[in-house]
Amino acid sequence: MSEFLQHIANTLILGGTYALLGIGLTLIFGIMRVVNFTHGELYTFGAYFVFLISSVLGLNFLLALPVAIIAGLVLGALIELLLLRPMRGADIDTTMLVMIGAMIVMQNSEQLVWGGVAKSVSTPFPETPLVIGPVSVSYLRVFVLVMALLLIAATYVLINRTKLGKAMRATFQDRDTAALMGVNVRAIYTATFAIGSSLAAAAGALLGPAYVISPHMGDIASLKAFAIVILGGLGNITGAAIGGFILALAEELGAGYVSSGYRDAMGFLIIIAVLLIKPTGLFARAERIG
Amino acid sequence: MLEVRDLECRYGSVAALKSVSLSVEKGQIVALIGANGAGKSTMLRSLSGLLVPSRGSIMFDGEDIARCSPPQVLKRGITHCPEGRHVFPDMSVEENLDMGAYLRRDMAGIAADRAQIFEQFPRLAERRKQIAGTLSGGEQQMLAIGRALMSRPKLVLFDEPSLGLAPNIVERVFEIIAQIRADGATVLMVEQNAYAALEMCDYAYLLESGVIATSGKGADLIDNPHVQAAYLGG
Repeated sequence: MSEFLQHIANTLILGGTYALLGIGLTLIFGIMRVVNFTHGELYTFGAYFVFLISSVLGLNFLLALPVAIIAGLVLGALIELLLLRPMRGADIDTTMLVMIGAMIVMQNSEQLVWGGVAKSVSTPFPETPLVIGPVSVSYLRVFVLVMALLLIAATYVLINRTKLGKAMRATFQDRDTAALMGVNVRAIYTATFAIGSSLAAAAGALLGPAYVISPHMGDIASLKAFAIVILGGLGNITGAAIGGFILALAEELGAGYVSSGYRDAMGFLIIIAVLLIKPTGLFARAERIG
Repeated sequence: MLEVRDLECRYGSVAALKSVSLSVEKGQIVALIGANGAGKSTMLRSLSGLLVPSRGSIMFDGEDIARCSPPQVLKRGITHCPEGRHVFPDMSVEENLDMGAYLRRDMAGIAADRAQIFEQFPRLAERRKQIAGTLSGGEQQMLAIGRALMSRPKLVLFDEPSLGLAPNIVERVFEIIAQIRADGATVLMVEQNAYAALEMCDYAYLLESGVIATSGKGADLIDNPHVQAAYLGG
């Protein structure tokens, strides 16, 4: 029983970050119909940003997260303006190839700048874990969970309560009619890609310090993000949030009770199972966002 | 108020509009009638900026708006109530109305206009929190009209406002359009219900295969033998 409770605690901590990763990807796909292969690289980018701020520049670790989020916003906006905006109206396959190319360039740039050796980030949190009954978690991981939940809540407020969010939902539901209401659809695309990217960077900035950071960490993150999005239904934000926690649970239980070697295989098992049983995703409500 | 000259609009190599000219005077209701595929919707879509015409000019209050984007056209006072209603299906009635006022900043004015629309359409007021996709066709059309009015337009473009609605609702839609003109706005409407459109309009244009075949006062077009044979069933 105590082992199970520990798995649940780990699930919550991992799931929060996975949810961020999935929400970012599903937002971009839902509104822009772009399959964003650079998502994992933005995750890596966020993680290296924390390394840069706290280990290289020696600045406060707590400063790293907001800076990584802003850097993710800027990089996402640049990718949209330079690569996606000229491709608007092009075939979805063509856009996908461009995004795969961008992913390769980003990954190799990380390797060029930081080298291939994995890095770890030192944090200001105490080494001794927080122990509550049978469960023990590091203070860093509690910080990760709290920040992830705050960011998920902020995204919800943005989508459901702000004028920008309303325009994003209108664009998702009916692009031409949104334009007739005065929505600048091109600006909404840029904002959407930037926000989605910053969520990926935030996920990397949170989870990176909990593990080690390497140029290839984005590969598996990308695949997990796709698993979460397929699980939750494409374009469904609530689905992606819940999907993140389900994937984390499957990984934890798989690693704990089957074999730790199968941890990362769980995501793929989930994709296969969902596509076989309910291809529209577990929480698909036809076509909606929010 | 609106002066369209030699407008040409293409989808690839196909010209949906070939050199169309028409004008709308302030305070008028002008109807654009014609068969399916004649180019009526293309006309409205190029007026509102959803399509960029390949040739010609669209003068509105003395300014050429042919190359304006939809938000720029809306800012100048033209609103387009699209065919098939196109309410935002997953937004509430209230949120749909707010989208109509998207470019406005005067919160008090928006609230007052919303209250007035609820007064005019009590059904919408009862359902203000309801998701628009669950409304009936008639209610959705009222919402689409209310949403269009939320921008405080000078010129309203209606695309097939009576399409797919029950006869009593159709009557109500035409009453509302007459009321919009009485309240001071100008109306350009595309309508497949040619008789109703010709009866209520000040002036009408008949569009056939992308060109204006004839035009005149509504009553004159009703008496026109060609219009009678082709569009009024006899």
